[in-house]
Amino acid sequence: MPGKAKSAPKVRSRAREAAAGPQDSIDTLIAASAQALRLPIDPAWHAAVRANLQLLLKQAALVEEFLLPDDTEPAPVFRA
Amino acid sequence: MLETAAADFGWSTAAETAAAVAAGRASALKIVEAALARIRARDPLINAFTAVTDERALDRATELDRAQERGKRLPALAGVPFAAKNLFDIAGMPTLAGAKINRDAAPARRDATMIERLEAAGAVLLGALNMGEYAYDFTGENPHDGPVHNPHDRERIAGGSSSGSAAAVAGGLVPFALGSDTNGSIRVPASLCGVFGLKPTYGRLSRARTFPFSASLDHVGPLARSVRDLALAYDAMQGYDADDPVCVERAAEPVAALLEQGAAGLRIAVAGGYFKCRSAETVYAVDRVAAALGANRDIIISQAERARAAAYIITASEAASLHLDRLRSRARDFDPAVRDRLIAGAMLQASLIARAQKFRRWYQREILKLFAEVDAILAPASPCTAPLIGQQTFTFDGAELPVRPHLGVYTQPISFVGLPVVVVPVPLSPLPIGVQIIAAPWREDVALRVAHALEARGVVAAPRPPD
Repeated sequence: MPGKAKSAPKVRSRAREAAAGPQDSIDTLIAASAQALRLPIDPAWHAAVRANLQLLLKQAALVEEFLLPDDTEPAPVFRA
Repeated sequence: MLETAAADFGWSTAAETAAAVAAGRASALKIVEAALARIRARDPLINAFTAVTDERALDRATELDRAQERGKRLPALAGVPFAAKNLFDIAGMPTLAGAKINRDAAPARRDATMIERLEAAGAVLLGALNMGEYAYDFTGENPHDGPVHNPHDRERIAGGSSSGSAAAVAGGLVPFALGSDTNGSIRVPASLCGVFGLKPTYGRLSRARTFPFSASLDHVGPLARSVRDLALAYDAMQGYDADDPVCVERAAEPVAALLEQGAAGLRIAVAGGYFKCRSAETVYAVDRVAAALGANRDIIISQAERARAAAYIITASEAASLHLDRLRSRARDFDPAVRDRLIAGAMLQASLIARAQKFRRWYQREILKLFAEVDAILAPASPCTAPLIGQQTFTFDGAELPVRPHLGVYTQPISFVGLPVVVVPVPLSPLPIGVQIIAAPWREDVALRVAHALEARGVVAAPRPPD
């Protein structure tokens, strides 16, 4: 079962690097994901999608930076 | 039968209305007719309803009156009008979930379980309520059905996504309504419209035959103008339902009879740290509630900001998965603000979502430890009073932030682990604001007792808006 969680590590997470990285890395991710998922994206929507993805990756980085023991069970469905 | 003027029931509570019907002082039909007339007169100003089920309502009210005439004992909510967010199935109508796309869906074949249970308790469904598209919204600004107007200031938003539910209750169209809450969609509009709202423990109330948003976070619950009405509606809806795999096999635990126990003896703390109030309105509201309860202890909910972040990405991912086919085939028919968030959510890597779910387990354990020390925790329900319709940003903690994703800043870390919450309205002028009363899992009774004690002392109340 999970032990005491550690505080944030010194290394930057992948998600934080993606969120803060050069604009073209986000654009590359969007283009590749859209192709893989067969999602049509009108060029007019691109800026908003990019802003939303950057915000999501920033949030993901906050989560990823929090180290947890390997045996922590996920809670895909929460039962209070 | 002695008829009380039905118009009087517009601002009556559900409990008062049901008592009048049960005592023969009013007929269900007159009450429903008056409620339908109010909707015709006032809803064009509020835009809370997307469909009015008048024929069905009149038939149901007539049945109740006939049962009364035959000497049958009427159920607890007999003759009480209510309405439901338009993501609840209503037999014979497509379930819109606030979306243009869903207008092409087949009509629902059966009512949602919550509607069935409320009608079994005698309540009368008056219609379906406006909401943010696919519930991915905190503003209630629906591009297809128009924005819901806050009854306290019609230039302002009602909050979302249960915008129509909060506005219909606050505006005196119905005494209570059904909403849903994934990240704050009952609690934020309850706060902005100045009504009471209950988000029960995850798994307590059945979501069967409702349109989903983010399955591992979706809850349903009532909004009302009094705590007793919340409790009456909640009691009528409780109980296991095999049609919702998340609904727990747990006996109903009625709370209406427990309200008078009040808050005496309960250990109540104020959430500090992340939840520390940052606006004059939230400071005043939380301080007023805390002072009335003698809650002079702060408690820290550890890692709340990270919990909000995890809820944020789990929501985006689950919602994107739900809508992936529609994003491929009908992307132009979405609300653009919803569509662009969903597309971004589809691009999140699975490894990040799994981390968020693991963090959720850790956070759940930490929060449960707090409830060994306290029975209830107070926190703001929204970071501000109702913004203007069309307002894009607001000032929070010295920063200018977008309205749409940030109104749930105080609600997301709580629903993330399914805790029961009652929002109580503090009737500030000119606009009300809510405070969350958060309890341990399955202790809705504690949150409702605290809310009732505050209401009885006049500290919180659903203010009547100007005509």
